[in-house]
Amino acid sequence: MALLDIKELSTGYGDLQILRNINIEIEKGEIVALLGSNGAGKTTLMRTIVGLNRIWKGDVFMDGQRLTNASSTKIVSSGVSIVPEGRRLFAGMTVTENLEMGAYCNRKNIKEKIERIFDFMPRLRERKNHLAGDLSGGEQQMCAIGRALMNEPKILLIDEFSLGLAPTIVDSLVEIVHRINQEGVSVFIVEQDVQLVLDMSVRAYVMEIGEITLSGASKDLMNDPKVKEAYLGM
Amino acid sequence: MVLLQVIINGLLLGGFYALIGIGFSLVWGVTNIINLAHGAIALLGAYLTYYLFVSIQLDPFLSIPLSFVSIFLFGYMLQRFVMNLVVKAQIFILLILTFGLEIFLVNFMTTFFSADFRSVTPSYAGESLVIGEIVIPYIRLAVFFVCVIFAIAMGLFLDKTWTGKAIKATSLDIEAAMMSGINPAKIYAITFGLGSAIAGVSGTLLTLTQAFSPSIAGGLTLRAFIVSILGGLGRIEGALLGGLILGVVETLSSYLIGESYKNAIAFGLMVLVLVLKPSGLMGRKYYAEVKH
Repeated sequence: MALLDIKELSTGYGDLQILRNINIEIEKGEIVALLGSNGAGKTTLMRTIVGLNRIWKGDVFMDGQRLTNASSTKIVSSGVSIVPEGRRLFAGMTVTENLEMGAYCNRKNIKEKIERIFDFMPRLRERKNHLAGDLSGGEQQMCAIGRALMNEPKILLIDEFSLGLAPTIVDSLVEIVHRINQEGVSVFIVEQDVQLVLDMSVRAYVMEIGEITLSGASKDLMNDPKVKEAYLGM
Repeated sequence: MVLLQVIINGLLLGGFYALIGIGFSLVWGVTNIINLAHGAIALLGAYLTYYLFVSIQLDPFLSIPLSFVSIFLFGYMLQRFVMNLVVKAQIFILLILTFGLEIFLVNFMTTFFSADFRSVTPSYAGESLVIGEIVIPYIRLAVFFVCVIFAIAMGLFLDKTWTGKAIKATSLDIEAAMMSGINPAKIYAITFGLGSAIAGVSGTLLTLTQAFSPSIAGGLTLRAFIVSILGGLGRIEGALLGGLILGVVETLSSYLIGESYKNAIAFGLMVLVLVLKPSGLMGRKYYAEVKH
């Protein structure tokens, strides 16, 4: 069984259905991309996996454990962490406090974990006593990644990875994600820059108006005429 | 000299206002609930203390822990099983709900505890500390210190414990808190429980310094409201400062202008703060930003 297994998942807001019969499997140690235009339902899927939206139908399994409509505490404890769209840091708390909150469900060796994250992203160490709301966009994204890592996740979900960040910062964040992945953490990533994310990932899913319409190895998708036309502008 | 006495009286009264404001401000800042029943919940603590005193002569200061624990449980249950059902509703619905609760509690207390004014007078009630011409009743001094100790303890709880930090995180961004694995329904219940418990303790202390009846519930809520606005929402130091200011302003204006103007002046001060510094005198960046 896959590490993260999404089966026949449907959900929406109010009466409005957004996602229809989504099937996604992510294995241990993979980087998997989720592509799709604005409004396709990518963020909704990410929110649903971490329990912010109720699942109407279908199931989510993590390591064989059923997480369908489970409490956020149970979902995070099972090893799922998210770097959400817009970072969503605790703006009025310092960088260190934000990192601590990331360890809410996994409180072992907090000091050591924070030190490791600072070694990983030295920029955060310089800013550790600043309020998270006062950081620059790139620093905020680093802090959000650090907060997610404090849970020692088995899978890291990243929503809108590079949105609003300068290209040089994106390069260093890509490097950070690869290093996290090399330690055995699976990564499921939503990104608008299709070229970038297909380079990063081994597999990808394409979502259109709430359904998965295409999936496969990233290098095959890069040569797929439909993907080329719709997302790469070729 | 009289002026100094008035200011000292104001500060001592302000300690009590701070305590009643802390619970109100905490609940408002974290859960977005403007709890109009706050004063009535405080009176539950007052009546608990009163009946323990008349039945088994339990010293009011010793009933503080009982008040804290029992009113905490009351507040926790209330949030968990009633408020949480509507907490995502518009602010208007929440106001109506807490207003309804206020009416219920006040009438409940009037029916079962009567509308008579009560007070608790332990044997040491008349003793005072006299410095020159200044007279400070020991009881008021003790009440003041208990209030300050509770305020400091609350501040430490919010800054140092996991639950306290989770409360702060939830107030800053509830969805981000959930994404860190915090269960907001539980945090809301704990917050409302704590807010109520502190109200209960201030009710206990109230019995020592003034006569009370169910009819004063609204007045207590109003003062808690002013204190929260003056100090800044969800901030313990803010409520402490707001309480002291309100206490001094009330006693000074009673003395200098006249008793009947004190409410007008207190509210005038609140409006002034809202105009000049809407986040409160000690409001912190990123906290208590408008969520509705």
